[in-house]
Amino acid sequence: MQSDAKQLDTQIEIVTPENIAFQYRVAGPFRRLPAYLIDLAVRAGVAAVAFGVLVFAFGMAGLASLGFGVWLTLAFLLTWFYGGVFETFYNGQTPGKRLMRIRVLSVDGRAVNALQATLRNVLRTVDGQPGLFYLLGLAVATMNDRFQRLGDLACGTMVVVEERQWYGDVVRVDDPRAIRLAAELPAGFQPSRSLARALATYVGRRENFSPSRRAQLARHLGVPLRHILDLPPETDFDRLLCALYHRTFITDQEEPPGSEPISPMVAFDKSAGGNPFASSTTETTEVVNEDLSEPRTEQPFGVR
Amino acid sequence: MALEGRVRGRQSPETIARFASLYRSACADLALADAYQLPRGTVHYLHQLVGRAHNQLYRSRMFNVSTWARQLLVDVPQRLFHDNALRLAFCIFWGVFILSGMLSYARPEFAQGMVGKEMMAQMEEMYSEPVEGRTSGMGAAMFGFYTFNNPGIGLRCFAMGLLFGVGGLLTTIHNAALLGGVFGHMATTPQSDNFYRFVTAHGPYELTAVVLSAAAGMRLGFSLLETHGLARMASLRRAADEAMPTMCAAIVMFVLAAMIEAFLSPSAAPYAVKAGVSVFSAGTLVFYFVILGYPREKSRATG
Repeated sequence: MQSDAKQLDTQIEIVTPENIAFQYRVAGPFRRLPAYLIDLAVRAGVAAVAFGVLVFAFGMAGLASLGFGVWLTLAFLLTWFYGGVFETFYNGQTPGKRLMRIRVLSVDGRAVNALQATLRNVLRTVDGQPGLFYLLGLAVATMNDRFQRLGDLACGTMVVVEERQWYGDVVRVDDPRAIRLAAELPAGFQPSRSLARALATYVGRRENFSPSRRAQLARHLGVPLRHILDLPPETDFDRLLCALYHRTFITDQEEPPGSEPISPMVAFDKSAGGNPFASSTTETTEVVNEDLSEPRTEQPFGVR
Repeated sequence: MALEGRVRGRQSPETIARFASLYRSACADLALADAYQLPRGTVHYLHQLVGRAHNQLYRSRMFNVSTWARQLLVDVPQRLFHDNALRLAFCIFWGVFILSGMLSYARPEFAQGMVGKEMMAQMEEMYSEPVEGRTSGMGAAMFGFYTFNNPGIGLRCFAMGLLFGVGGLLTTIHNAALLGGVFGHMATTPQSDNFYRFVTAHGPYELTAVVLSAAAGMRLGFSLLETHGLARMASLRRAADEAMPTMCAAIVMFVLAAMIEAFLSPSAAPYAVKAGVSVFSAGTLVFYFVILGYPREKSRATG
């Protein structure tokens, strides 16, 4: 059972049959409610259009009763099986869920089957008791780790967020003074793995802070680094971190482009020397534009 | 986007092979990124990418006609033959139905309390004329209405069963008392003939379907109480696997009943035909529940 895996917040870890572990974020009510409302609107829209078309078309043929009957049957199917059919055929997504970028999965991370998809939507009636405005479902959802409402609990499903943001390019340092400082740093200095990570995190976020806040944050690393690197006391800490970042991630990376495309594997092996993630992001962009037919032994992960 | 291509139609072998290798590389990247403690953004991006690829690889399984037919015609009756929830639902429904019917027959004030004045007047007016040929030409519309309304009631009753069976029990008792009240009351009115002629043909399917959906819902709810040694959620999940096909059988019955109710019951066909259909449909139900459901040696359904 997956359920006893450690879970700290809304991130859940899934281990696939291939023994790959990755994480999902479970979707809370603030994503699921809009998705539900969109689906409700879609349903109402389809029903309204179908009513117009069917009753009009059959009415012209003098078969208004038949048209009405067909419409009522359709309304029945829409009311009870809209979600189930979409989630079966569109891999756990209804139009509303697709717009809100969420997806229904089994709790073990596999796709839902037709039975689960249908049942969880039929059991929506219990969660959304008339007169209670979904409060029952909401209450049940808050009482478990995966925001499962009663219908989800009964068929072992959960709703996860499926984001598709592209990881942006490497953040570049464009301050010329920092670049100049980078050139002055001792050549033998190799940041440790955790230092490299801290640098990347800091530079990635420094845009969001005011200069004085940057100085305050950079101090913690800056003081010992200035000491180790033997820099003059008036060095700006923020600029020092940027320079180190530039040295670690940018300068080392700009090798002559003639060398064969670096697969992530090779890149990481090399990174033991000091450049842990140099290649991964450029690879992504590279492959996005790459000719698909070109045979490669090691495929990098960026795909478009 | 190579990873995203709609896999509904067949993909070319090259695409699939490429997808597989891309997926493997993405997984390898994720593992490495994790091990090297790369920045959060990178790791998060890779988690997303692998998650999406995983969802493309393991797609939801479609409706498989032969599996569902086997479920409906073999597994469901076999299971229901031993199903205590069905027995309970059957006894409660018919017990309350008959009780309520007799009480309303004997005491008009009970019927009034049960059914309500408004509905009684409505029913009396509805059946004030002979039903034969009443709604000629309206058959299709009525079929639609019955299809919309009746399985909806059944499905709601089923879903309410999830509340530890109590919700389903209450809904069943309510349905049975209401129906019994109507039947009992109508018997005292001059319109009784019209009413009973109308309900004869579709009665067996419709009332059985009501009982069946209540039973399927109770199976869900009771699985939370009686777990057979499983964790409650696991027990509920197992019951859900069994309850849904049962509910499908109930929906099929509802739709059959709706057809009969819309096209035959109000038609000008002689009463003998309607009674014949009624007997025939009762016969198919007996066949379904007893003959198909009779325990067989090799595939003995579990409790």
